[in-house]
Amino acid sequence: MMGNKLGKKRQMVEEKYTRPQGLYQHKDVDHKKLRKLILDSKLAPCFPGDEECALDLEECPICFLYYPSLNRSRCCMKGICTECFLQMKPPHSTRPTQCPFCKTSSYAVEYRGMRTKEEKGMEQVEEQRVIEAKIRMRQQELQDEQERMQKKLEISSSSRVVAAAEVEDYGISSSSIAVPSLRYPSQDNVVISSQASCTTPPFRHHLNATQNREEDFDLDLEEIMVMEAIWLSIQECGSQRHGEMGSSVPPISGGCYLPQAPPSSEASPSNGLVCAVAAFAERQHLNDSDHPLSHNIANASAINCISSRDGRQMANYTPQNWIEVSSDSGRAVLREEDGEWAMDHGSMIAEAGTSYSSSSGRTAVAAEVESTGSAMPDTVEDPCFQPAMVAGNHSRIPESFEEQMMLAMAFSVAEAQARKSPHGLPWM
Amino acid sequence: MTSTSAQSRKTLSKIACNRLQKELAEWQVNPPAGFKHKVTDNLQRWVIEVTGASGTLYTGELYQLQVDFPEHYPMEAPQVIFLPPAPAHPHIYSNGHICLDILYDSWSPAMTVSSICISILSMLSSSTVKQRPVDNDRYVKNCRNGRSPKETRWWFHDDKV
Repeated sequence: MMGNKLGKKRQMVEEKYTRPQGLYQHKDVDHKKLRKLILDSKLAPCFPGDEECALDLEECPICFLYYPSLNRSRCCMKGICTECFLQMKPPHSTRPTQCPFCKTSSYAVEYRGMRTKEEKGMEQVEEQRVIEAKIRMRQQELQDEQERMQKKLEISSSSRVVAAAEVEDYGISSSSIAVPSLRYPSQDNVVISSQASCTTPPFRHHLNATQNREEDFDLDLEEIMVMEAIWLSIQECGSQRHGEMGSSVPPISGGCYLPQAPPSSEASPSNGLVCAVAAFAERQHLNDSDHPLSHNIANASAINCISSRDGRQMANYTPQNWIEVSSDSGRAVLREEDGEWAMDHGSMIAEAGTSYSSSSGRTAVAAEVESTGSAMPDTVEDPCFQPAMVAGNHSRIPESFEEQMMLAMAFSVAEAQARKSPHGLPWM
Repeated sequence: MTSTSAQSRKTLSKIACNRLQKELAEWQVNPPAGFKHKVTDNLQRWVIEVTGASGTLYTGELYQLQVDFPEHYPMEAPQVIFLPPAPAHPHIYSNGHICLDILYDSWSPAMTVSSICISILSMLSSSTVKQRPVDNDRYVKNCRNGRSPKETRWWFHDDKV
């Protein structure tokens, strides 16, 4: 993976790429030395940067342009194009340059040619982990927010706890399941907000369970959408990178855009999730737009696709945002050094970039996926998702064979339409 | 949209322009939580609304940041100040200047407007007192001729807040 020095030496680099392309007005650049370093494959050739992301190009995190290959910092392996690297050492500066990414002093880069498949895979895995961490953070925020709201509710309704108890008593004595909150609309919120207590009669339990389930579902759906958006954008770029040579159209299956499996051998935890969402969306679509959720889903997938290009940038830049935020504010004492590009520093200070990616990330998210999965069937139970409702407004199942066939056909036509249209939106 | 510092500023280099356009596009898709970019057609000066994070001294309070980009951004740090009224904070002067190392000596071209914003919000959020810096009056008097905070020789002494 490190590349054979002998084999690499004197790689063919076009003469014009051995000097800066004019990205900056370089001062103090020793063109001879630069040319030699590029020809010796110690620095990446000065390819002109591309504005758009294309197959197999890497984005330089400083100039935001895309290149066939980048140099890597020795300390944290972050990429940088040669012209930006030349800017890193301020002219006439007497102090060694800090790594712009991890702030390690005596910044040095090395060039390993184009990234290998393994390296690309590793990068994607790291990107995924950062994204997963972000999702967890967001989930925590949501949860905290919910808890705060819950507390507020509890405080505001604490004076009415007695009322809640009354409702309980009523529930027991009447033992009627049909009673629910409808008859006591004013006390409804009391029942809900005091759900923390455990000694509850069966009927109240039932109420609370429903309530909880709905709340969970709302939360989960939002997460699903966020996760799906992120995943799709990563995967889309992945498919651009890896798949463009053959078929450029992403595989569409069962009406959902199936992301390609990431290069790592582990299957993506959200593959199934994406399908579940799509299936869910389909179902929702059958029911037309009666249900507010169906709007959400259609919109979400539209957003996915519109934002996918920028989504990739996001994926790219998150790692370094983290570093910046955490970069220590104390300044290191710098020592004098007049190195030649500081190329020969053996000091390898490891992985500032990866320190956030806890290995537990994957399993945590997988668990979340599981819990959302279990939330799904609940919605299916809801009568408004029953296919029979499509055929007629009443849930009567036709008795004659002919009628049943008609219904089946109507159903499959509706389904086919539903499959077409939600994806007409995003892919237009 | 002009001030003394804006007029003396050169227009953005091509590379600065390209980067800022991409940063803005990225911001529009994924803005840092608690921040809102005020839409203008001026790429060289961004005005950003900050909302104090909940559970901090500045909960729900609204402030405005003004970010001016130099010709050679991102090799050179942008100038970031609070527009009046600036939040009361031990590192924020009443003229809006912010004593934060990443805006000056510790700037790195790998940073972005978004990451600056997060740092500033984190600085606000970790504050335990709503107080001006001890040398506020002296400093503000010295800046009366419209001096940029980037010309200040900052002394970063506190790594807690």
